[in-house]
Amino acid sequence: MPENNIPNELRGIVDIVYLNRDNCKITEKNGFIGLRAVLDKSDDDMTEKEPLEKEENEKDDGDSKKKKKDTPAVETVDLGNGKVEKIAERIFLSRAFPFDMPYEYISVLDRDKKEIGFIRSLDDFDEPERTLLKNELETKYYTPTIKRILQVKERYGFSYWKCECEFGEKTFTLRDTFRSIIKAHTKDGRERIYILDIDGNRYEIPDVEKLDRMSYKKIELYL
Amino acid sequence: MAKQTETILDAEQIADERVRERTEALLEKLHDVDSQLSHEDVIVAFTYDLADRADDENLTDQRVDGLVALTKDTLTVYQNGKKHKEIPLDKAEDFRTTPGVGSVIAECTYDGHDMLVCRGDNSHTAEYGAIMKRINRYNETGEFNTEFMRELNRVCEKCGRPFPPGSSVCPRCVDKKGIMKRLLAIAKPYRWHLILSVVLFFVITAVNLLTPYLNRILVDDFIKSETPEAVVISQFIIVIISLAAVNVTTNLLSILRSRVLVHAGNRVIVTLREMVFGKIQMMSISRISKRTAGELMTRVNSDTNRIRQFITATMPDLAEQALMLIAVATMLFIYDWRLALLIIFPAPIVSVSFRLFWRKMRRMWNKSWHMDSKSSTVLHDIFSGIRVVKAFGMEEREADRFDEISKKQRDIRIENERMWAIVWHILSFFMGIGEFFLLFYVGNKILGGEMTLGEMTQFSAYVSMIYGPLRWIANIPRRLVDFLTSTAKVFEIIDENVDVADKEDAVDLKIKGTIDFENVSFGYDETTDVLKKINLHIEPGEMIGIVGKSGVGKSTLINLLMRMYDIGEGSIKVDGVDLRDISQDSLRSQIGVVLQETFLFAGTIYANIAYAKQDATRDEVITASKIAGAHEFIMKLPDAYNTTVGEKGHTLSGGERQRVSIARALLHNPRILILDEATASLDTETEHQIQESLQKLIKDRTTLAIAHRLSTLRNATRLIVLDKGTIAETGTHDELMRQKGIYYGLVMAQRQMSRMSPKNTAKE
Repeated sequence: MPENNIPNELRGIVDIVYLNRDNCKITEKNGFIGLRAVLDKSDDDMTEKEPLEKEENEKDDGDSKKKKKDTPAVETVDLGNGKVEKIAERIFLSRAFPFDMPYEYISVLDRDKKEIGFIRSLDDFDEPERTLLKNELETKYYTPTIKRILQVKERYGFSYWKCECEFGEKTFTLRDTFRSIIKAHTKDGRERIYILDIDGNRYEIPDVEKLDRMSYKKIELYL
Repeated sequence: MAKQTETILDAEQIADERVRERTEALLEKLHDVDSQLSHEDVIVAFTYDLADRADDENLTDQRVDGLVALTKDTLTVYQNGKKHKEIPLDKAEDFRTTPGVGSVIAECTYDGHDMLVCRGDNSHTAEYGAIMKRINRYNETGEFNTEFMRELNRVCEKCGRPFPPGSSVCPRCVDKKGIMKRLLAIAKPYRWHLILSVVLFFVITAVNLLTPYLNRILVDDFIKSETPEAVVISQFIIVIISLAAVNVTTNLLSILRSRVLVHAGNRVIVTLREMVFGKIQMMSISRISKRTAGELMTRVNSDTNRIRQFITATMPDLAEQALMLIAVATMLFIYDWRLALLIIFPAPIVSVSFRLFWRKMRRMWNKSWHMDSKSSTVLHDIFSGIRVVKAFGMEEREADRFDEISKKQRDIRIENERMWAIVWHILSFFMGIGEFFLLFYVGNKILGGEMTLGEMTQFSAYVSMIYGPLRWIANIPRRLVDFLTSTAKVFEIIDENVDVADKEDAVDLKIKGTIDFENVSFGYDETTDVLKKINLHIEPGEMIGIVGKSGVGKSTLINLLMRMYDIGEGSIKVDGVDLRDISQDSLRSQIGVVLQETFLFAGTIYANIAYAKQDATRDEVITASKIAGAHEFIMKLPDAYNTTVGEKGHTLSGGERQRVSIARALLHNPRILILDEATASLDTETEHQIQESLQKLIKDRTTLAIAHRLSTLRNATRLIVLDKGTIAETGTHDELMRQKGIYYGLVMAQRQMSRMSPKNTAKE
């Protein structure tokens, strides 16, 4: 049981809703993923419905907004006996620890960026749902892998990189080189590196030790 | 001045040219993919580079070659040379972007469901945001505005490369010569100082050159005199006195010279700092908040300082050392050209080897510099958080942490020093090799009777004089790099465009207090709108309460009214005049603001209250603080209104600060009063008091108040409930309560809260 990880004193104050193969199904539509989950009823589920009651709302809004308002981000159906079913056509995934645990502790958000629950590990789901989730993560966190570093030039506080990625050569610019290179350790102790460029793009070097000598020499200074 | 505008126009032209070229290339590519599409039909086309979603075959490499074209009623998406999908516009709406991490998705709602348009890496974020917004507008009005493309394609006028985001200086070609020219322009008023210092140095050098000559006389004519009995003691004394005189003169001249330089240098730095500081003040909040306070401080302080060093130390040194080199070398050559060649010959070897070692050394220094800064960061961290450290009993852990860094620092330093020690001695040896040749050559000559011992002393002195400049020149690259980096950073700020600028024909308006928001949409970046189509009319004298959850755009609304940012769409009018047509001075001088986070400047309480109205009388200040409920506590302080507050002064509590800043806003006597959570940190009773005084004051002023504590707003003529960036509800307290909408929910929630604490219930 995942709940066992929470210290006794904190349990019951705020509950983390864990989603897994037993309580949640991942759905797909138009290339986006959604979910149907059966969860314990919580206080939040009651306030959810409130906006639906009032009608004044639609007077002010342009009609373009109407449709979105009509379909709530999460549809909540009371199943009785303290359970509710939540249906979201579209969900968003967010990594809680993107650098060191990319496939664990995934927050699941609805369209309004409200958290529906947490996925402790993708392993809590079976195929093909696991693949759906994994692909969604890779889609959101697009991080090409750098195979070789061809050139690093530093000038006036910026550094210019030319690297070989899996899809070919890529040049990018870092604003503050030292702060743009993030070191993380994988669970098995390898040193993994993330490079954040000026546009907000990310690149990954999965194992620094495995870089060829020339590439390593170019990045050594920043490690 | 004229020249500057010219270059700006050029850059615009290049950008337009770039837009045209890109568009043409895109159209051509489109034609290759879809020959049925004629150029005229395409309203806008853009590219994308990532597949719709990741799958097993392209898990991390998601690149594709994609194109999107907007035609009259369809958005067509192509991928890898084939038609991928078509989105008919009549069923599509709400085009938007969803930011990923390292990627961005352009999507829309199609037939009630989300639909992906295309996906690209993060460099497309601004572009997609702008295009999606305009497709929405096109869908409503049938117009597509392509103005934004120029802004997205802004290029450096020199190399034609786009600027890095958030900067208007191209880092690739901050022109070194240009920088020197501009610096010289700044240094120009002090050119006489600089010239004088060089002249002085020339004199000092010339006088210094006398010393070896005098030494020679001393050695040849007196110490080694072949006829010691002929030595006249008075002459001997004259030589000694001359030596002393030379020494005194050079020292006096040196003092004079450094005084001249310090004088000029400090003026240069003041000019530079004024330029940078002035510019920072002119920049809008959006630009300023892009940089951290620390970064701006560095630019104003240490970067300008480094430039000063260059102007007052490196530049004159450069001139002087060059002069010295030429002078001494000429003397040596005149004296004996063969000897001179022998001495100078190792110099190029040393220079070359120095350059080779240079790269290695620079890397090492860089490493050690970063280690130093890391260790000081850790120290700063620990000391400023010392209460937390102690409270959690983490002293030992922190000590270990610092220990570890110190050890690393030590290792790097030891390695550096070891390296440096070896390199330095080898280099010195090579430098000194000339002296061995000299000894051999001169020794031969003396033995052969062609040269006297005194002449040799003189010669060796000159030789040592020439090595100084030679070594110094080897150091130039490092200083130059330092300096150019700093200068580029400083000029980057000075060159930045002022984004919220007054129009040339901006008017000074005497504000009555009508405010109109017409279709105002605004986002801090292109992708997300914080406020969407806000329409609001406020009569003079109204008190409007703004209510809503955190993050719905309440403060943004107010920032826009103060014109901290310029809006993207719609217009905000005060008394029927667009904000952009009113001079910022006159606008802000008639708006009084009390913010949630109060800020007191270092100075007396009096000065802080009188900040907005420098010519306020003492009576006015006291009246204002009485209304604000500040008078009472101020009088309890021993120094009353003369109490120093701010960083080093007396510490006021949060509520006290708040009241001082309310007094400040009141004294300002504004036509429009803005209270942004102004009374949030006061207890209910004090708040009540202030509310009552404010009530009198608010009477004929337009007031906008943001408050989470809803009881604060009970006097508001109207309440506005913001939700998700739009106005969800408007009306008086009673009307809204009857509606049982969002406001009702908020009030109920707060009542429940206050019921839990019995003290508050009594007040109600």
